[in-house]
Amino acid sequence: MPDSDTITVVIAEDSAILRDGLVQLLSDRGFDVERAVSDAASLEQAVADHPPDVAVVDVRMPPTFTDEGLRAALTLRRDHPDVGILVFSQYVETRYAAELLAGGAAGIGYLLKDRVADVSDFVEALVRVASGGTALDPEVVTQLMGSSRRTDTLAALSSRERQVLALMAEGRTNSAIAANLVISEGAVEKHVANIFSKLNLPATPTDHRRVLAVLRYLEG
Amino acid sequence: MPLNEAGAREGWVELQVPQQQGDHAVGLARRIALEPFHKRSWAELGFFLASSGLTGAAVLAIGALGIAGLALTVVSVGVVLLAGGLRAARGFGRWQRSLAWRLLGEDIPEPDAFRPRPGFFGWLRASFGDPAAWRAAGYHVAKVPLTIFGVWFALSVWVEALLGIASPLTGADGFGRFGPFVHVASLGLAPGPAAVTRAGAFATGAVLLLVAPWTMRLVVSIDRQLMHLLLGPAASASRVRSLEASRSRTLDAATETLRRIERDLHDGTQAQLVALAMRLGQAKEMLERLPAEERGAEVSAVCRLVDEAHRGAKEAITDLRDLARGIHPPALDTGIENALATLAARSPIPTEVTVAIQKRPSPAIETICYFCAAELLSNVAQHSHASRASLTCTQHGPWLRIVVRDNGRGGATVSRTGTSSSGLAGLAERIGAVDGHLSIASPHGGPTTVTIDVPSGS
Repeated sequence: MPDSDTITVVIAEDSAILRDGLVQLLSDRGFDVERAVSDAASLEQAVADHPPDVAVVDVRMPPTFTDEGLRAALTLRRDHPDVGILVFSQYVETRYAAELLAGGAAGIGYLLKDRVADVSDFVEALVRVASGGTALDPEVVTQLMGSSRRTDTLAALSSRERQVLALMAEGRTNSAIAANLVISEGAVEKHVANIFSKLNLPATPTDHRRVLAVLRYLEG
Repeated sequence: MPLNEAGAREGWVELQVPQQQGDHAVGLARRIALEPFHKRSWAELGFFLASSGLTGAAVLAIGALGIAGLALTVVSVGVVLLAGGLRAARGFGRWQRSLAWRLLGEDIPEPDAFRPRPGFFGWLRASFGDPAAWRAAGYHVAKVPLTIFGVWFALSVWVEALLGIASPLTGADGFGRFGPFVHVASLGLAPGPAAVTRAGAFATGAVLLLVAPWTMRLVVSIDRQLMHLLLGPAASASRVRSLEASRSRTLDAATETLRRIERDLHDGTQAQLVALAMRLGQAKEMLERLPAEERGAEVSAVCRLVDEAHRGAKEAITDLRDLARGIHPPALDTGIENALATLAARSPIPTEVTVAIQKRPSPAIETICYFCAAELLSNVAQHSHASRASLTCTQHGPWLRIVVRDNGRGGATVSRTGTSSSGLAGLAERIGAVDGHLSIASPHGGPTTVTIDVPSGS
């Protein structure tokens, strides 16, 4: 697990009980919670004042309780591309995921709020997003995979390769994928190489290709 | 009638203030003397002329379409012509209303809008079932005898009056030929010296000029009644309209309430549950970090309890989310388009979504559309054995049309008892609550197309 000592966080969550809980949880885990705010405007202000490593953003916030958080996240992405963004939602909306990922999957996370209950997984996802990785909720991945537009592009992949790709899309490392599917890391590497070649991804540095593969997968 | 009204009003004043009786007699005489020069008298004359012309055109047009339509009923084009005749009747009715408004200031409320369901047959059915069109046709039929009567009883008086007054200048004697006062008018034609005849004609014309506005007013006021009766909304229609309005308000209020409940669940209960699950998760991980050898039996028991509580809390969050989504789909907050896209993405069958609507429907209609689409897509997933489906939502004037197609085995019906049909029957009920319409084309062997039309609301 990456070192979380130096990771700075801004939290935007309108529910006080959840906000306080998150602050306490992340502080316990060694994060530096710079600000915890309750609406989108304060979030943008807080990030502008002191860009953190990562911002945790609730989708529904005042005043309209629809998608303020997502709008704010997109603004942050544009104005502060180095700040990782973990969008935190009560529901999975395909459009939200698509909009978030439109500018690239690096430093983007989209998790259901429940995931915070599995504390270590959540912390791991947050660290990943803070260091430029991706963390997508398995349910987001399932939905995006189920969408018809992807099926043609992905038809070439075997079912095992799709499983590997889905886990890659969630932002897992090869070793995590191996553990999840109960196969060897070598086997995972082979599948990943197959995925790259089947999706016609050029041989560039591996991390970049992983992001591209995930994007190809999400965009169809 | 303005005459009666004015008379009644003055009579009332007389009763209250008897000493002013003389003044009022003078006032009444003045009014009668000035009435031919009042704007409204000429407006009524103008209305009568314009409306009669329009009636002539309407009778010709509607009659031609009607007769041609009846003659050709054997071929289906006749039916179209008849429907066209009814549409024309409605159009002429609108022009008559606009004449009445412009010339008489008479505000005839518009009848219910013509709202055909999308498609040719929707148009045809709606044309024949449009009460406003039938009533407008009735108006024009009734207007024919009224016009003839008006020409004889009122227009003639104006003509006689004007000709009579003009006779010293024109020397015309083509005067006093018809109308209710022909024997009065013909006094002007009594044999005698030309000067006397013309003076007589002038005097008769002047008298008739005083009468003309009132006969015309009688004819026009009959027409006003006729227009209110046949060109305005039917009495039952206005009741239906007010019921529809109150039903739509009730639906909107219910939708708003559900939305608030969903929001309260989300902001209150759900947030608390998430915070609770988070704390349990923390506790669980702290306990698990204890080295195994340091854990006594009690700690292990606590571990198990915390683990169960943690799992229970997570399940409760999932359940509550599903419940909240059933109450009011939060995706609808950002519009039907996003909501339907999310819905289709959640479907296990690859589903293509097309949404093309110009104007955002009312929340109640959006909710109905959403739940209909959800039910139909879940039917596709459960019963159709399809490999592909499509969902379209398009606007057709005041209607929203939702079409769900799949390439499955077909055989879906509303009436059949069974799992798939009960869902469709529930849908039909839901759609019926807003005067929508559901139709199913699902031959055995497929494919299945379910079409839903709902009014898009305000």
